[in-house]
Amino acid sequence: MESLKDDTKGQWIALSGLVISLILIGLAALANQAMLAGYHSSNAALEFPKENIRELNLHTKDNARIIRDLSLSINQTSNETVPVIFENLFDSYSDQVKKLHAVHGETVNVSLVSINSTNGTYNHDIDMILVNIRYNDGNTYYASEPEMIEVRE
Amino acid sequence: MNDRAQLHTLEGLSAAFIITLTVLTITQSTIIVTPQNELAMDVQLEQLSSDSLAVIDMAEHGPIRNNLTECIAGWDMTEAAYPDNNLEELDAPLSYLLPGILYNVDLAYFNNDDLNVKKVIIHGSPSENAVVVRHLVTLTNETVSLAGGGWNLADDEIKVVEVRMTAWKV
Repeated sequence: MESLKDDTKGQWIALSGLVISLILIGLAALANQAMLAGYHSSNAALEFPKENIRELNLHTKDNARIIRDLSLSINQTSNETVPVIFENLFDSYSDQVKKLHAVHGETVNVSLVSINSTNGTYNHDIDMILVNIRYNDGNTYYASEPEMIEVRE
Repeated sequence: MNDRAQLHTLEGLSAAFIITLTVLTITQSTIIVTPQNELAMDVQLEQLSSDSLAVIDMAEHGPIRNNLTECIAGWDMTEAAYPDNNLEELDAPLSYLLPGILYNVDLAYFNNDDLNVKKVIIHGSPSENAVVVRHLVTLTNETVSLAGGGWNLADDEIKVVEVRMTAWKV
């Protein structure tokens, strides 16, 4: 052991070995951090209901046009006015959408605010409606109040 | 017997220990890496699946013969029994838009407050990392009559149907 104490050669080699090991540990820690960041961003992208909200909005707009066309068709053989028929059909749509989303633990409320006709033929045709759209899945809350929809194409 | 270079031997041992420690740290990190990669793939798969339903929904009789509403309206109300699918009009564009991806499609709708979930396309049992995407379509008696489907709707009735697709990579 005496010779060990006296032998002071190769200190640079020992030091560089230590430095390289520390660098490797640092790099491993950095790589791990990058992976964690990737995990959180991917998880956030999966959890955020972007497509569900977009789908609810687009479908409500498409559906308002379908209901308007159907209302005009029913009006031909019915005593009820177009706005009354439209409101009944829209209530049915709202009810079904609410239930279909409730199955997935989401609260959705699509309610009709007003029906408008700018050309003065309110009882026979409509061209714009206002609706309130709300979506809530416990983490994300979205509301568009009111959403203006042109139903006459 | 030569007792020189003992410090070098100790240095070698400690270097080996530190390198082993580092390799272990990296190996342990890769265990965390695996699900991260899977999650990133899930995000892509979800986007791809959702887009494919949206594309079919927007189709206007070009390469895709029927749009999503027409496909659903034309359903004859009988469930699929593997390996036979019961909605070929939808299966054909989906298989074209989702190469290398397997999927099952269910239809969910309410009938007098009762939820009905019917399987219309079955391609197998979903794997662990399957994603589910949803798309809504609205049916009227007119669209059903034009598509020749089996939905029994009144003239003044609308039916909101949820197209639920479970997709996974093989």
